[in-house]
Amino acid sequence: MTHTDTSDRVKKVVAQVLKMEETEIKEDANFIFDLGADSMQSLQLVAAFEEEFDIEMEQDKALEVQSIKEAVTFIESYLS
Amino acid sequence: MNTRSVIHQFNLNKLFYPESIAIVGATNTPGTVPYDMVKNIIKAPFRGTVYPVSPREKSIIKIRCYKYVIDIKESVDLAIIVFPGAVCHMALEQCGQKGIKAVVIISAGFREIGPKGLERENRLIAIAKKYDISFIGPNCLGIINTDSRVKLNASFARKMPEEGTIGFLSQSGALCTAVLDYAQAHHIGFSKFISIGNKTDINETDLLYYLMEDEKTKVILLYLEEVTNGQALLHAAQEVILKSHKPILAIKAGRTNAGAAAAASHTGSLAGSDEICDAAFKQTGIIRCDNIEELFNRAMAFAYQPAPITNKVAIITNAGGPGVLATDATIKNSLQLARFSDKTTTTLKKQLPTTANIHNPVDMIGDAKVDRYSSTITATLEDKEVAAAFIILTPQSMTDIEAIAHEIVNQSANYQKPVYTSFMGEADVAAGINILHHNQIPHYRIPESMADALKHVYDFQQYLNGNHSMPAPLSNIRINKAQALLTKATQNNRHFLPQNEAAEILAAYDLLSPPQQLAKSKKEAIYLANQIGYPVVLKVMSDDIFHKHDVNGVQLNLQNNRTVATAYDLILQNVETKQPNARINGILVTKMIQQGTEVIIGMKRDPSFGPVVMFGLGGIFVEIYRDVSFRVAPLTNEDAASMITQLKAAPLLSGFRGRPRADIESLKDCLLRISALTIECPQIEELEINPLIVHPQGCIVADAKIILQTKPQ
Repeated sequence: MTHTDTSDRVKKVVAQVLKMEETEIKEDANFIFDLGADSMQSLQLVAAFEEEFDIEMEQDKALEVQSIKEAVTFIESYLS
Repeated sequence: MNTRSVIHQFNLNKLFYPESIAIVGATNTPGTVPYDMVKNIIKAPFRGTVYPVSPREKSIIKIRCYKYVIDIKESVDLAIIVFPGAVCHMALEQCGQKGIKAVVIISAGFREIGPKGLERENRLIAIAKKYDISFIGPNCLGIINTDSRVKLNASFARKMPEEGTIGFLSQSGALCTAVLDYAQAHHIGFSKFISIGNKTDINETDLLYYLMEDEKTKVILLYLEEVTNGQALLHAAQEVILKSHKPILAIKAGRTNAGAAAAASHTGSLAGSDEICDAAFKQTGIIRCDNIEELFNRAMAFAYQPAPITNKVAIITNAGGPGVLATDATIKNSLQLARFSDKTTTTLKKQLPTTANIHNPVDMIGDAKVDRYSSTITATLEDKEVAAAFIILTPQSMTDIEAIAHEIVNQSANYQKPVYTSFMGEADVAAGINILHHNQIPHYRIPESMADALKHVYDFQQYLNGNHSMPAPLSNIRINKAQALLTKATQNNRHFLPQNEAAEILAAYDLLSPPQQLAKSKKEAIYLANQIGYPVVLKVMSDDIFHKHDVNGVQLNLQNNRTVATAYDLILQNVETKQPNARINGILVTKMIQQGTEVIIGMKRDPSFGPVVMFGLGGIFVEIYRDVSFRVAPLTNEDAASMITQLKAAPLLSGFRGRPRADIESLKDCLLRISALTIECPQIEELEINPLIVHPQGCIVADAKIILQTKPQ
């Protein structure tokens, strides 16, 4: 899977969880500061990423991930 | 005041009197802090413009939202950040870009969660410095300004308090909501209400200076859990009190402290952080309170009523028992019962039944109604001897409680004398109490609290009238000599300086010891004893022995060569038995001092308040009796004098039962010299003279030790 594929899938998941258009989500967007995710949605994002990529992430570290860019890098570390 | 503090004073006006506010991180979810913050600001109602900033919402409570604070075209005076802690720095950075100088950070998730949170706080400080922003918090409830010109409730407290003259600062947010609820029930109003949270940027000292200038604030209340820079707090508090005459009342939590266990000196053991805090507050004029009820009982007295001219009180009651309780409390609090003039007693005799007590405390008898209260209050408050009145009521079947409450309100307005009340009971007196609260007549559940409150108002006036100037420079001080000795000791990695070396340093400050020299052998000890002149004392000198008596290392009143020789051997033998590994520097031979009153003077550096001087009656029992006083250095003449008079055992120094009168002036001079030494020689961590012998003329150091600061590794 290419970096762009991962990025697109991350954006798709984020758009679904936060109920917004994929086009509104920029690569460096912060889940909380730019996209308005609350604490419940942050947990939902972790769960949705795990399902989308069929991985099991370490929750504490996953919750420290704050932006689309960081999420892509973090998920890729599980995929490699 | 440092640069940041100057910036804060500049920005604090925007913080309390903004014309526009951005709530950054607002949401549309009722019951959450970000939503309630917007709601409370609107509901207050805030007189300026409100800009909710939310990444997702289009509007909150029908007010248009902005995605970022930098999207707002108009200027913004104040930002309230309610984002989660992890992204507060991003919000603060944008506030800086927008030119906002005053910020309140409500969010938690900072130093209270550990190193990661502390790192976040450091990031906030860096941004604040970059943009000259001043911020309150993080981890706080917010701020309230009841001034009708602004009506700001930037907090998530349930209700906006009434407008009043009390400024309240609290380190605990949760306590704030409880205080607001308590205050509401008692109709206590506030000028400013500030939850300072982690006080990462703006702290209590900055706010004290602001409230000093705030025309709406007459009384300042503090709730503190930790005092990080005690010296700055004391300096600010004293300046506020002496310049503005505004009282500062404080609860400092954490009274219990088990930390002073294994100390190298009596001073170290006796000077726990709470005792020091107590003394430092008293010295500065801060009134320390033990609980919320006491805090507000006293605050009401300061905020609502004038101060008494003297400490003479009239007690007016319709019940004998409570009158006696009030009388006891009056005397216990160093107040006096006013002695009525003949005119007053004649008037009272005419107006009250024959069974009434027309002398102070005036007992109008259980069936007293408003007419009796009215004439008695008038007669007593007209009396020039009466400076204040305590009015007590117990609810009998015929007592017209509400009429009496109204009468007290009316009468109080006619006199420039404090009137405090105690309507005893609960349900029956509730309506009367409500009238008193509404009309700012201090009301107390029990009569004793009236006396406590008046005592503090009276004492505060006395404090303001006191002399707080620093003493004139002391004569015969040789700082260079003391510094040279301390530098040499530090260079030699010394930590503990026993008597012979401590005496040299003290001598440089004109604190004299008897003739003394160190002997390295028995023969030398005998020679020195003859040089000094009998009788002499022998003492072991060792860097490892902090308490010489514990190892039987002192032999007193030695009259001849034979006893000196025996004592020398005995001391070495005792040390060998009790502390075999102690390194012995020698045996000090010193002149036996003529008897006098033994006192102890100590000094310890407190991590928060700095150098603290201790005084007490000396000897080895000092830790048992704990009859000691503390003051933060530098001492004023008044501090030195009150340190002595404050002791329970002070009469022993004034010629008690035929004892010779001790030289109190010389003793005060010693305290001032120790104060100067501790300020001018910061290498000294701890110092103790125990005992200092006070004679009818002069004082002499019988024993002393100094502990030096350990170099940072």
